[in-house]
Parts: sequence; structure tokens; C-alpha cells
Amino acid sequence: MAFTSLHFLIFFPLVVLLYWITPFRARWIFLLVVNYLFYLNMKPGFTIILALVTLVTFLFSKLISTVNTEKAKKNSLILGITFILLPLFFYKYFGVINNAMVALLTEHGLTWPLPEMKLFLPIGISFYTFMAVGYLIDIYNEEIEPVNPGYLALFISFFPLILSGPIERAGNLIPQFKEHKTLDFESITKGLKMMLWGYFMKLVVADRLGIYVDAVYENIPQHNGSSLMLASFLYSFQMYADLGGYSLIAIGTAKTLGIDVIQNFKRPFFATTMAEFWRRWHISLISWLTDYIYTPLSFSFRKYKVWGIILALMITFLISGIWHGAALTFLVWGLIQGVLLSIEALASKSKSNFEKKHSLSNKGFYILIGSVVTFLLFSGSQIFSKAASLDDAMLVYSKIFTDNFHLPYRDGYTMLYGFIALSILMIKEFNEEYFPGKIQLFNNNRTVFRWLSYYFVIFMILYMGVFGQEKFIYFQF
Amino acid sequence: MEKNEILKKVETIFRSVFDNNSLVLTTETSALDIPEWNSLNHMILISEVESAFSIRFKLRDLNMMRNVGDMIDLIASKL
Repeated sequence: MAFTSLHFLIFFPLVVLLYWITPFRARWIFLLVVNYLFYLNMKPGFTIILALVTLVTFLFSKLISTVNTEKAKKNSLILGITFILLPLFFYKYFGVINNAMVALLTEHGLTWPLPEMKLFLPIGISFYTFMAVGYLIDIYNEEIEPVNPGYLALFISFFPLILSGPIERAGNLIPQFKEHKTLDFESITKGLKMMLWGYFMKLVVADRLGIYVDAVYENIPQHNGSSLMLASFLYSFQMYADLGGYSLIAIGTAKTLGIDVIQNFKRPFFATTMAEFWRRWHISLISWLTDYIYTPLSFSFRKYKVWGIILALMITFLISGIWHGAALTFLVWGLIQGVLLSIEALASKSKSNFEKKHSLSNKGFYILIGSVVTFLLFSGSQIFSKAASLDDAMLVYSKIFTDNFHLPYRDGYTMLYGFIALSILMIKEFNEEYFPGKIQLFNNNRTVFRWLSYYFVIFMILYMGVFGQEKFIYFQF
Repeated sequence: MEKNEILKKVETIFRSVFDNNSLVLTTETSALDIPEWNSLNHMILISEVESAFSIRFKLRDLNMMRNVGDMIDLIASKL
């Protein structure tokens, strides 16, 4: 069940209530049952894959911690990761590769032994697979001790995170499952506030902007360059409000159960460089990629100095692109991120010297230019993430840069509501970024202001929210 | 080699990598204290330290380095 479904609105308070009245010793078992019921409710058949991935992870974690030699440990790790990744590769990439082979060979009058196929991706597989792989590597690195299969299953299937993350680490989550916690109303209130804001971001901002973005991107040839440029900008905001909103609901849900989950976004559109942007956007994925892919790669390539770093960056972001989807568009998307970050890495020393010489670091206009350029670069790259094919993406670019100026496509209430909602979101984030703690709404000391702000956001959700979608962009990844 | 000597030698490497001759290190200095000490510069630093002391780190060693003090302890254990 999606967080925006009616089922969840009944399921969630019931789970929180039963969780806190369950005796501590039985709480983890209760949560494990809830996790599997939650997943069964989505696509029952795929629960077998979740259970198999958990079993394989458990067996290999035991193997890694029992074998004696370094070589045997490493081989067990490699074999374990391969087995864990098999279902992800099969469901995410096998169908695409197979269909490409069918098309290629048919074109040349040859036959491929398998027919064309469309495989449905088990929901959340990209996320829980990464959590399982992370667990195994942490065991190999002796950062954590193996846990019993029950706690491992609880970690991999934790219902707030299983559909779209944040991609958590065993070292952060499992000790919290074991910790004796008493009912804490402050935790529940904090969680509910996060959820409320998450619902605002998703239902009022993301889904409203999505109506405009989809209307334009579904008919690229019929829209002018201005409409495509506006839709591309709005898509960046939509993506942020979608996954950022989802993450807040997930983190807030976990918080009501007394569990602290990693922050997934930190006001990304106030970043002034691409490197900073990636420290603020989808933090759990990027830190996973940094720890388990970029760091080992850049360590192996360290003798090549800055070029080794660039190679590691390129490979890491290509993998990030492929993780998002089995399509050339995502490969190009990853390549663009790698190239932009590499240019920044090469220019970082000169840029830093230039900033020091002219005392630019704290100047408002310089920060503004940095934020705008970063936003433009990111939105430009996102065209490859949104377009259905490379041809579509190139058509969007050519129209943006070559069309004569015309007023963009207008869609009355959608644009009005979308811009009001987006402005509220951005003003809130501007306040938190540059005046932290100055203006408090959800956390105001005065009860009346606090409750007024809750009611205002609830009113906005009910009045301006888009209902009936029950889809989050990241479910497809 | 005494740990103080290692600290002085490491300080020279830091000054060269971060292009900052006024940089002063203590065992408590961490990436939080030096803005340029990011994941990109970290590997260059590691590579320079390896060359200067003729040692080789393992990937696992990197996870144990929380500050300059940890780095010095690790270098000392490999000399």
C-alpha cells in the first residue's frame, strides 16, 4: 500500500498503537510480521524474492564471519553480493537486454531463442537489495557483527523504507530495533509533523506540478521551447517534492515507532556547486554509492591522483544512472553527472583561490549565481531522466535552444496552485537555510501558532492536494 | 619514528595538498576543521602519505581514520 492510499491511513495508526502496547520483548516480532503484511499487500508473489534475498544475505554473512583466511572472506563476499544482485539484474535488466537482442537480430534476419518479454519490477527491490549488499560489506569490513535471521529480516523489510528508501545501514537501524524504548510522545509528535509536511510536498507540490510536466512531456513535438524549458525546471521541483515528500513520510513513520532514520534531502536547491548538490540530494543513495563504490574505486586508482578520482567518479555515476533504470537515457544522465563533478574536481583549486582573492564566499550575489547555475545544470541533466528516449531528450534540447520565444503552455488552476504550493515550499526552505530557527511554525513555542500552522497545511492538502494517484516516481526505480 | 615527528611530516603533506602554508595540525584535527578536506582530496592525501612514509594502507584502514590522530597511529603501526 502506498503512503497516500486510504489503506495506509488505517494501517498506520493501528500499527503505531499496537506497536507501543506490545511488550518490548515481542515488539521486533510484531514489527517483522507487520513488515511482511505490508509487502504482501503490494504484490504477494514478490514477497518470496524478498525472503530469498534475506536468506542469502544471512547465509553469506555467517560464511564471511566464520571462514578464516582473508581470501576466503573476500570470495564469500563476492559470491554473496552476486547472489543478492541476481534478482535485481534479472527483473531490471534481463528483459531490456533480451528485447534489444530480439530487435537487433530480427533486423538482420536472424532469430533469438527467447521471445520479447516485459518483466514487472518487484517494488522496492532496488532499495532493499542495496541495504542487503551494504549489510554484507559491513560484515566483511568488521564494522558490524552478524545478527540473527529475524533481526536481519526486520532490517531488510522495514516497512517505512522498503518501497523507496531511505537506503539505511544496518549499523544505524539494527541497534535501534534492539534498544528498549518506552512510549515517547515527543517522538510520535515529531514523526507526525514530518509526515504532515511530507504529504504536503507530495500531494500539493509534486502531484500538482506533475500534471503540467506530464502534459508537456507526453506531447513534446506539439510544445514550444518555452513550455519545454518551464516543464523541465518544474520537473526538478516535482522530483524533489516527490521523493523528498516520500522520504519525510517514511522517516516520520519510523520516528513514530521511536526509530531514527537517515535524512534523505537537505534543501538541495540551495547548493552552490554540483558536488554540494549531491551531498544534499538523495543523501542515502549517494552516501551508499560513496562508501561502497566510489571509495573502494578511488582507493584502487589513488596512484593516478586526480585522474583516478575522475575515473572513480565517472564509474560511480554511471552505476547510479543504471541503478535508476535500464535505458540509454539514464546512462547519459549518469555520464553528465560524472562529467560535471569531474570538471568541478579539476577546477576546485583555481575556483577556491579565485573566491579567496575576491572574498566571494559569503557574498549574496555569488551564492545566488552558484545556486542558479547548479539548478540549471541539474535541470538540464534531468531532461534525460524524464524523456522516454534519447531522441525525445534531444528534441527537447533542440526546441529549448532553437525555438523562437513564445509564451509557454498555460494550464489555469494547475499552474496557479502549483506555483502557490512551490512558493510555500521554497520560502520555508529559504528560511531554514539562511535564518535557521528564526521563524518557527510547526515548532513555534506558542501553541496557537503551532496549531494554526498544522491546520493551514492540512487545509492546503485537502483543498489543493491531488488525490487518487497513489504513485511515487521512485517506485519505478 | 616518534609520533610527533610523524605529525610534523604529515603536516607538511597537508600543507602541500591543500595549498595552505599556515595549516597547523593537531591529533584532533578532522575533515570538519579543513573545508577542502573532502572525499576527492582525501585519496590524494592518502596517496601522498603512502609515498612519503613508504607504506601501504588497506581500504579497511580508511574506515578507522576519524581524525589526524588516527592517521598518525596507523602510520606508526606500519613503520
